[in-house]
Amino acid sequence: MNQTIDTSAYSVITDAIRSEAARLLSAGEVSAVIGYAAARRKGSAQPIVITAADDAARLFFSPACVNNLAVYLTKAKKDVPRKGKIAIVVKSCDLRAIAGLIGESQLKREDLYLIGIPCAGVLASTASPDSELTNNSIASKCLECENNVPQGVDFTPAVKVSSPQGSSRYTAEIARLEQMSPAERWAFWKEQFSKCIKCYACRQVCPFCYCEQCLCDRNKPQMVDTTPRPSGNLAWHIVRAIHLAGRCAGCGECERVCPMDIPLNLLNRKMAKELKELYDYECGFEPQEKGPLNSYDEKDDQSFIK
Amino acid sequence: MQKFISEQNLKTLLDQMIQAGKRVIAPRLEAGTTLYGPISTSSQVCLDELPRRSAKEAFFPVCEDILSYKKDGQQLDVSDVSPNSFPESTLFGVRPCDAAAIPVLDAVFSWDYKDQFFLERRRKTTVIGLGCTKADDACFCTAIGLSPDDRKGSDLFLIPLEGGGYQCDVCSEKGEALIATAPELFEAPSQAQPLPKAVPGMDNIDLKKVKKWLDENFESPLWDEIAVRCVGCGACAFVCPACHCFDIVDEGTEKQGKRRKSWDACGFWKFTHHASGHNPRDMQPKRYRNRIMHKFKYYDDKFGQTLCTGCGRCIRICPVGIDIAAIVEDISQRS
Repeated sequence: MNQTIDTSAYSVITDAIRSEAARLLSAGEVSAVIGYAAARRKGSAQPIVITAADDAARLFFSPACVNNLAVYLTKAKKDVPRKGKIAIVVKSCDLRAIAGLIGESQLKREDLYLIGIPCAGVLASTASPDSELTNNSIASKCLECENNVPQGVDFTPAVKVSSPQGSSRYTAEIARLEQMSPAERWAFWKEQFSKCIKCYACRQVCPFCYCEQCLCDRNKPQMVDTTPRPSGNLAWHIVRAIHLAGRCAGCGECERVCPMDIPLNLLNRKMAKELKELYDYECGFEPQEKGPLNSYDEKDDQSFIK
Repeated sequence: MQKFISEQNLKTLLDQMIQAGKRVIAPRLEAGTTLYGPISTSSQVCLDELPRRSAKEAFFPVCEDILSYKKDGQQLDVSDVSPNSFPESTLFGVRPCDAAAIPVLDAVFSWDYKDQFFLERRRKTTVIGLGCTKADDACFCTAIGLSPDDRKGSDLFLIPLEGGGYQCDVCSEKGEALIATAPELFEAPSQAQPLPKAVPGMDNIDLKKVKKWLDENFESPLWDEIAVRCVGCGACAFVCPACHCFDIVDEGTEKQGKRRKSWDACGFWKFTHHASGHNPRDMQPKRYRNRIMHKFKYYDDKFGQTLCTGCGRCIRICPVGIDIAAIVEDISQRS
């Protein structure tokens, strides 16, 4: 059944973002505001960085504002001006990435001004940007959302929104894959990875892929085959999944941007599930200095050593 | 010359070609995504949507071997891949924006260096274009001087008709030769009306004005403004029917391996990274500027053509909503 989700509060949120951004910039409290602006295609949105209060009117929020803007705070994005404090528009799911980046000493909380969005959900990449937000057109990540009103932020528009309802699409799909034999599962991923063209959109939008030089870009020595062929594709996707295990904040950007529709977040969700089962660890909203895969504890599960 | 072909006869035509050992490449589903690829039966053809990647890969594959090497002691054997081994092919169901890009690519691949990998596939391939009856607001072929029923690049061109079947226009000798292989499947032109043409999302852009502005604005604040959001992936170039940059790498071991050619993209930081460590395009705006300059200025300077056919793929897939149609329209209004 297709049920409409009420997003009428998004216009109030838009007004609140604009006035807060204008206030911050004119008072000189921040040097830039990273947010969303409307784009040419009907209903579409794109990230924008503004530095003048006059541009605050360009900011908005809609169900098409799906990007995790935290990527613009990382050292991988050197084009964003870094001078003093920066304000950023964040949904709750984006906030988890910021917590992770603070935990990894990539950001300092005091350098950020967080404009939190109470969010009823955003659109799936399969829906056109002018689609109505419904329980079908909503992004899969929204169905994983535990707290749609960001906590611990510096400013939140005073509105009430409904929290996304519905059962996790990832849980169902992971269960389906887990029931497969290893050969069937291998066939599934092999077919998916065969579509990969090594455009690295998944890497470039990921807030945690901030390595100065990705292992997969190295050629002295060449660690991973660079061509979009089975061996290099598999190597890249395994490197990606493992490097993000225990770090991935679940924003689903990798999957959203894949031009070949490879269900990348499935790998990340599966890794998160393993981490939960093995170490009782979850990426949360609190910065954590060390995840289970880069720390050692005598109580760690050793059962894999046989 | 104009003919009529029924849907059933069109399927028969494709199946007959496959049975005769010809390679037929058409839009088909691959793990849930529509892509151009070889089909083994006409029932695999999927014409519902524009394939996610363009038809350029029929001539310029995502990745291909160009030679293999083997070393045994002092003995080194190198064997080239011979373009003679490429099969006779038919590329079917090609949208006008994809077909139009093929002659645009001819220019660069037959310029100072004759790329036999591209040219031999091109020589051996017959292109059957298909008129569009639907478009979305990312489509902008009309803004680039093309149209949803443009014959450019097609050897045969099909226009869907009211009541089923296709008007089939013969656009080249290759197209004529293809019809001659099965003349019984084609009928005299039908009186039926074509289905209404698709209406793309944007009207004509004055590309001369765009070129003029680009001639004078290598340095402009516009590049920073557009590209501050660019995350530097290669998605736009890889789905583009006209982008044609590639990289060549050796993969394997000291003892044996292959030299491979694969798609590259000017959005990658490494694209212009020199061995010295210097990078003349050190920031994303310089890389994005190159994308626009190459498409609307450099290619025009060199070959008198535009390196964009308005398919809208880059607009649909850009992770951060960069809209080349909006950018070019904006530039056209600046000069």
